[in-house]
Amino acid sequence: MLAGSEDIVLDVTFEGRRVWSFWLLRDSVERAGHRWVEWPGSLVPFLDGHCQLAVLEHLTGEVVYDAPTQFGTSADQIAIVNAEGKALGIDKSGRMAQTFDTRSAEQVAPLLDSIDEVLGALKDAGIEAFPAYGTLLGAVREGKLIGHDSDADLGYVSKHENPVDVIRESFRLQRRLSNAGYKITRYSAIAFKVDVKEADGSVRGLDVFGGFLCQGRLYLMGEVGETFEREWIFPLGTTTLEGRTLPAPAVPEKLLEAMYGRGWKVPDPAFHFETPASTHRRLNGWFRGTRTGRDAWSRFFSTRRHTLPEGLPSEFAQFVASQEQTPARVVDLGCGRAGDAVWLARQGHHVTGYDFVPTGSLAAQKVAADEGLDLKVESLNLNEWRSVLGVGTKLAHTPGPAVVIANHVADAVGARTRKSLWRVASMALRQGGRLYLNVWVGGGQSKALVHPVPMRVIERELAAAGFVVQHQEIVEDQQDSGRQVGRLVAQVGVK
Amino acid sequence: MSLKDRLVGKLISSGPVGQLTERIKELEAEVQEIRQQNLRLAELADVVEELLIPMASRDQARIDAAVEAYLKSV
Repeated sequence: MLAGSEDIVLDVTFEGRRVWSFWLLRDSVERAGHRWVEWPGSLVPFLDGHCQLAVLEHLTGEVVYDAPTQFGTSADQIAIVNAEGKALGIDKSGRMAQTFDTRSAEQVAPLLDSIDEVLGALKDAGIEAFPAYGTLLGAVREGKLIGHDSDADLGYVSKHENPVDVIRESFRLQRRLSNAGYKITRYSAIAFKVDVKEADGSVRGLDVFGGFLCQGRLYLMGEVGETFEREWIFPLGTTTLEGRTLPAPAVPEKLLEAMYGRGWKVPDPAFHFETPASTHRRLNGWFRGTRTGRDAWSRFFSTRRHTLPEGLPSEFAQFVASQEQTPARVVDLGCGRAGDAVWLARQGHHVTGYDFVPTGSLAAQKVAADEGLDLKVESLNLNEWRSVLGVGTKLAHTPGPAVVIANHVADAVGARTRKSLWRVASMALRQGGRLYLNVWVGGGQSKALVHPVPMRVIERELAAAGFVVQHQEIVEDQQDSGRQVGRLVAQVGVK
Repeated sequence: MSLKDRLVGKLISSGPVGQLTERIKELEAEVQEIRQQNLRLAELADVVEELLIPMASRDQARIDAAVEAYLKSV
């Protein structure tokens, strides 16, 4: 509980160490004449015990509160550290992270090495990149990493002016880095993460944000859309970060103003982007949409991926096995934790599972390796045509008929993404075989990641995609009472 | 909200202002649909360049290598 009418940044320290910062007015609500600020959700689990708690104004250091304070009932001293005892603070995303103010110069050296390495790899690929966002801000304003930041960002401005060309360049860049041995995780059509292995073997991800100039405006993923001059970027100049000379935009102050507004020179550990809706609309429309649903599925698998699902095999897998001869070439689209894939491989089938989140099936992959099963799991992103057409091409070129199964996939995606499901299934069946579907078609309670799709919709879409349904029935879901499941068997263009 | 405010609101939403608001929403949706074609076009161009051209060789080993390399880079 605080009081005041001026919006200022306040730091919260535990035992004299800053852990969290907030804006007095922006981040609080008024009640009974006072301002109330909620403890961040990520900090709450640590708040049980005693500590020397202080609240200070960030810019002046003026102490607003400083006293021994008891939280909860524990007699222990509060320690805001991770499992390895390393100090944590709240980063710009509200997560607990090892912010730079907790690290020594020796500890940040590997990060600076990684920045050098990735900038070099990008340069080899023909891209003139530079530190961006908080990393550029720290370099230009203080010559060092910002204390309340926890990662490093890189950016580049494409020489192209059309979104299509900028995206194609990003795809080529990804290929170059991938061929050079880096693991790449794509966030959007022009932004990705490059994993760099540090000297101690740990892996650090550096984010690379693409941008371009178009009709006098700079667009930089994922927050910038401002009137801008090419001369403010090119030719690149230099800046100094923790004693190292790094490339920088020709006039970095202009880019920082575009990123953080005119107040960029004033430190603000509680900064939130206030990107105009029109910029978000543009960046979303041009470059986003291929990761839709990925975070939700990653969260779903995060607590389950090290165990096989219970209740195997599913009734659906048994139905498929009863209809097909052994061994068959099984393609399990949207295999999830791959429990049925393991069972089918144990029956002697040659199984390839595909999923949006292949790490969701780590347990199944381990079982397959331990038991020598013919089962592998690969990546398939139905939101991305490159993935759909790439996987489809591979499957179309694999000799012999296939048994394509999709268990609760059509009901986990929207109509547009289902078109990709039908496309990849159709390509997988170019040399004959059948498609088996299990789809929630009605009844039951609503669920977070799946939704019922009427049987007539599935039938209509399959017909439009060139499939002929040979068998269909609606059965009661054995694991979820009241839920009706449509089971279909189809072939491509065969009556 | 008073009866007068509600009546004014109703008149605005059903009159020319309301119609224009709806029209702007439609136009924004249409612009967004067009923006989304950029990514589709870039993806198709990438597939043609990296997959379709190697396919023309009709050399199975080269095709397989091109497909594997492509999937690793996606």
